[in-house]
Amino acid sequence: MRETYGRLLPEMRLGDLAGKLIVIEGTDGAGRSTQIDLLRPWLEELGHAVVDTGMTRSPLAGDGIRRAKEGNNLGRVTQALFYATDFVDRLENEIVPALRAGFIVLTDRYIYSLMARAIVRGMDPRWIRSIYSVALKPDAVFYLRLGIDQLLPRVVFSRGFDYWESGMDLYPGHDMFDSFCSYQAALLSEFDRLSAEFNFQMVDAAADAKTVCAHLQQNILHLLERDSRKNFISRLYTDSTTAPKATDTALQAVAAPVAAPSTNGNSNGNGNGHHHHAAHPGQ
Amino acid sequence: MEISSGVRIGPFEVFAPLQPAVSMVRHYGEHHFPGRLIVVEGIDGSGKSTQLSLLHKWLESKGYGVVFSEWNSSPLVKDTTKHGKKKKLLTPATFSLIHSTDFADRTERSILPLLKAGAVVLCDRYIYTAFARDVARGMDRDWVRELYGFAVKPVIAFYFRVPLETAIHRLLDGRDGFKFYEAGMDLNLADDSVESFRMFQGRILSEYEKMIPEFGLTVVDATLPIEVQQAQVRQIVKAHLDKAKELRVQA
Repeated sequence: MRETYGRLLPEMRLGDLAGKLIVIEGTDGAGRSTQIDLLRPWLEELGHAVVDTGMTRSPLAGDGIRRAKEGNNLGRVTQALFYATDFVDRLENEIVPALRAGFIVLTDRYIYSLMARAIVRGMDPRWIRSIYSVALKPDAVFYLRLGIDQLLPRVVFSRGFDYWESGMDLYPGHDMFDSFCSYQAALLSEFDRLSAEFNFQMVDAAADAKTVCAHLQQNILHLLERDSRKNFISRLYTDSTTAPKATDTALQAVAAPVAAPSTNGNSNGNGNGHHHHAAHPGQ
Repeated sequence: MEISSGVRIGPFEVFAPLQPAVSMVRHYGEHHFPGRLIVVEGIDGSGKSTQLSLLHKWLESKGYGVVFSEWNSSPLVKDTTKHGKKKKLLTPATFSLIHSTDFADRTERSILPLLKAGAVVLCDRYIYTAFARDVARGMDRDWVRELYGFAVKPVIAFYFRVPLETAIHRLLDGRDGFKFYEAGMDLNLADDSVESFRMFQGRILSEYEKMIPEFGLTVVDATLPIEVQQAQVRQIVKAHLDKAKELRVQA
């Protein structure tokens, strides 16, 4: 069964999260969104339903974060918590429902980027880990790693320096270049630390996009095959041990405990939810 | 939305960003700043805001530099909270997180620098409000406490204790129902907002009771006449300020 990093949010049921949660991590300019744009159609072609998500895309806090960052007066603790709000909104309303419906969730960054940014800004690592203890453990974390030397030209010659990507809130006295180098180097070393702790699969992001993508596809296929083999074996077991009629009664038996409370006088007509016991459509 | 670089809080214009520190303390905890932080807590209708405003006037008349900060009032965050409440987007977890974000902004932007500057900072609701409400909404007790680990510890935290029915009578005197989140309607406790309010605030009251010994809250009997409560409050506050005469602002 799926797990969190230690704590459970209210009403978060982990039992039926059938989908796959795949994280693409990496620093700014590592090519994460390029890879997600390549992976999504590929997965869909294979027949998988895909949801992709990423930082500040929550309906609740996305706009608020963007507005707050325009002013360049967002404090470090405030910033960490605003991003946590955005993350949990997407976790509860986007990621979990998609996993429950059997989707593959591709997420551009996850709690690791948020932890790295907060830790580099001087937050206590235990504090930030405690906040994200409610996050789901993903099925895979691909860390697109790029050294600072390779990162610089990508950023400088494409979009130029950005205030926050350069960590200017951390080093206000520096110019953008010095600040960028110090900040991104600090992030890289924090990522390397997190990589060991959270079992990242390291991908050399200095290679061209196609090579990186082929590598990711191979690993994702492996992950999905491992899962479908498990499914296949369990279906084989069900088919060979139970005749069609018996299957029907077995299904009813499974459904019975769910139906029980509403047949027990307690039925007050609010019968929302609970239809997820329908047969899983996956292969 | 335009965000001003300076924010006016009480008599102070605050510009000071926090120094980019190499490592930040986990929490400001028991601070040694020259200022004094005094907070009031209690359920809606306990009369705490009335008491705080009387205290505010008294401290100003005594020549102290006093600054007031209200729960859920950060210029950077409150629009997001309002948006979430209006569209009913908030779950117990995001309700908790967005309020902690608001509190963090007020801490970084005003409470902390003002305490460093030597002000008397008065807060209408503080972290105990979050502890009571979020736990009443089903959040993990320890998780919420750790979330607010960066908060400054107040020198006095008054808890205005009032029976639920008294508070409801006071509140319903002026209006005919409660707002969605105020009444805890998001928890589906009851269809009627007054009934839901009663059940939700009942949970909050029991959380407050547990926090009295946990955090050493100073209990004030909020059923007493306003003047009597205020006299008690001023006496307790005076004892804390006598030790800090240098806080007085030269008129």
